[in-house]
Amino acid sequence: MIELKEISKTYKRPTGEPVVALNDVSLHVESGEFVAIVGASGSGKSTLMNILGLLDLPTAGRYSWNGEDVTTLDANRQAEMRNKKIGFIFQSFHLLPRTTALENVELPLLYSDRKSIKDLSRRALDAVNLTDRIHHRPSELSGGQQQRVAIARALVNEPDLLLADEPTGNLDRSSALEIVSTFRSLNRAGRTIVLITHDQEIASFAGRIVKLEGGRMVGDERVTASTAVTQEAQ
Amino acid sequence: MKNARLARHSLRMMSRYKVRTGFMMLGSVIGIAGLTFVIAVGQSAQRKILKTVGQMFGDSGIVIHDGGGQMMGGPHGPGTRLKIDDIAAIAKEVPGIEAWDPMQTITASVRHGDSTDNAAVFGESERWPQVWNRTASRGDLFDETAVTGSARVAIIGETVAKALFGSDDPLGADIQIGSVPFKVIGVLEAWGTDPHGMDRDNEVIVPISTLMRRLTNVDTISAAKLVVTDAGRSDEMKAEMKRILRERHGLTSGQPSDFSIITATEIRRMVAQVQRVLFFYLPLVAVIVLVVGGIVSASLMLASVNERIAEIGLRRAIGARSQDIRLQFLLETTITMLAGGVGGVIFGYAVAQLGATRMHLDGVNPWMAALLGVAASSLVGLLAGVLPALRAARLHPAEALR
Repeated sequence: MIELKEISKTYKRPTGEPVVALNDVSLHVESGEFVAIVGASGSGKSTLMNILGLLDLPTAGRYSWNGEDVTTLDANRQAEMRNKKIGFIFQSFHLLPRTTALENVELPLLYSDRKSIKDLSRRALDAVNLTDRIHHRPSELSGGQQQRVAIARALVNEPDLLLADEPTGNLDRSSALEIVSTFRSLNRAGRTIVLITHDQEIASFAGRIVKLEGGRMVGDERVTASTAVTQEAQ
Repeated sequence: MKNARLARHSLRMMSRYKVRTGFMMLGSVIGIAGLTFVIAVGQSAQRKILKTVGQMFGDSGIVIHDGGGQMMGGPHGPGTRLKIDDIAAIAKEVPGIEAWDPMQTITASVRHGDSTDNAAVFGESERWPQVWNRTASRGDLFDETAVTGSARVAIIGETVAKALFGSDDPLGADIQIGSVPFKVIGVLEAWGTDPHGMDRDNEVIVPISTLMRRLTNVDTISAAKLVVTDAGRSDEMKAEMKRILRERHGLTSGQPSDFSIITATEIRRMVAQVQRVLFFYLPLVAVIVLVVGGIVSASLMLASVNERIAEIGLRRAIGARSQDIRLQFLLETTITMLAGGVGGVIFGYAVAQLGATRMHLDGVNPWMAALLGVAASSLVGLLAGVLPALRAARLHPAEALR
């Protein structure tokens, strides 16, 4: 479904000296996969996530989506792709304050042509078991609940790809496991997920683990079903 | 459909930040209110001064006042010795005098039946309508025979008419000024109040001979106005008048004059000075107020935009295009500044009206101030609210989210 070919990203420090954040990364993700991208901080995983999510452009390489090069699309087409094909989940949730869970989930629909916004949003919140919290504001929700609102927001437009950047980074262990199990069931229902994390345990819920180190890909392995089940049992 | 939905969403978002929005509006309310107040009152005061001066002096008037010393409002010297004959002599000796009118005034109680009014009673010649550029709106004026015969006829102002007659017709009615009976022959054209707060409609005009003989029993006049044919020569004419009057009053070279002469030319110089203040300093004050209000709004907006860069990043990440962000911030800023602007104009106008009433000004007109104020607050909104938001919207979403 998506394919990165020899992607590099170089930043310029304010001093002018270049920093290579990604170096020649190639990655192919098939529809229905659950991929975890792991690495220490500074390994380039957030940069990879930004490029995957069309939040930033690579300095070299080709990024295609079902065969179509998406890096050359104009800004509005990229915005449309983010709106329709990609759902984002961030470490710090990025929910609008003073705004109810329902209204937060509605946001992506506001930028689309979809109708019956309220119904779709309600359904997305039902799917993450927040039916009784739809009129709560972020400040009235726990961290785990806030992240579930963010997941509902990411799902509301029925995207092809769910991109999660350290989604459990701000959560306690039980909330983190709860979130990652949610991902697992979403994946079982056919959703393609790319999860970025520095936490090996969280990564082990995925079907495939890609390792980054110093901007280079240093590992790509499939997780056997048995290890995954063991992890879930804990 | 989509834009309307986004617009509704933006309004809902604004209502979540009432205090922030309120303070942004307040900055522009204060700025624009100050501007409206200063400009409205300034313009109105200027109009009033020009109107008063215009009526008193016209283009080519010279006013001779009894008593020496300073010009209008200054202390008058001892002994009023100005007489009608003095002015008649001037009119005869100085060429280029078109018309003249002597004047004497007292404050007296005016009665009709049980109603009383304290009014300024002016004695004038039959030439006053022409010389003072004032007339009756109803009834008649008096003529030369009335002046030579000391007729007991009066032209009353609207305020006097209202006080004595209510809504009845005063024409032909008998009134008493002091204890002397007069017949009302006309009603003065309404004028309003002058810059000193005097109600110029609370006046009665009678023949000067009648006033001097029957009401005051003096042979002097308080002032006279002369209309000259060539205003350009008024300085020389003033010198000539001064010479004649000093000679007639037997003043030696060391003695101060017991009269004063003001020409329209001198008054125009004074008015020009006043206008410089009104034209330059008042707008300056207004602009300072506006700038202060603008800075308050601008800093709040800048702070708010910076606070909201992450929000802009998120919106971009979930599919907002640059123009969607632009729409949102343009709408928010427009509404804030427009509401602030309208509030400021209303508030400033209310304060200006209050001030105008106290200062006896009329016709406060805030349109110029309103336009200027709304333009200024739009500029502030654009620079401090919209531009930074647009810059943020053009960032790559990843940068805005960081």
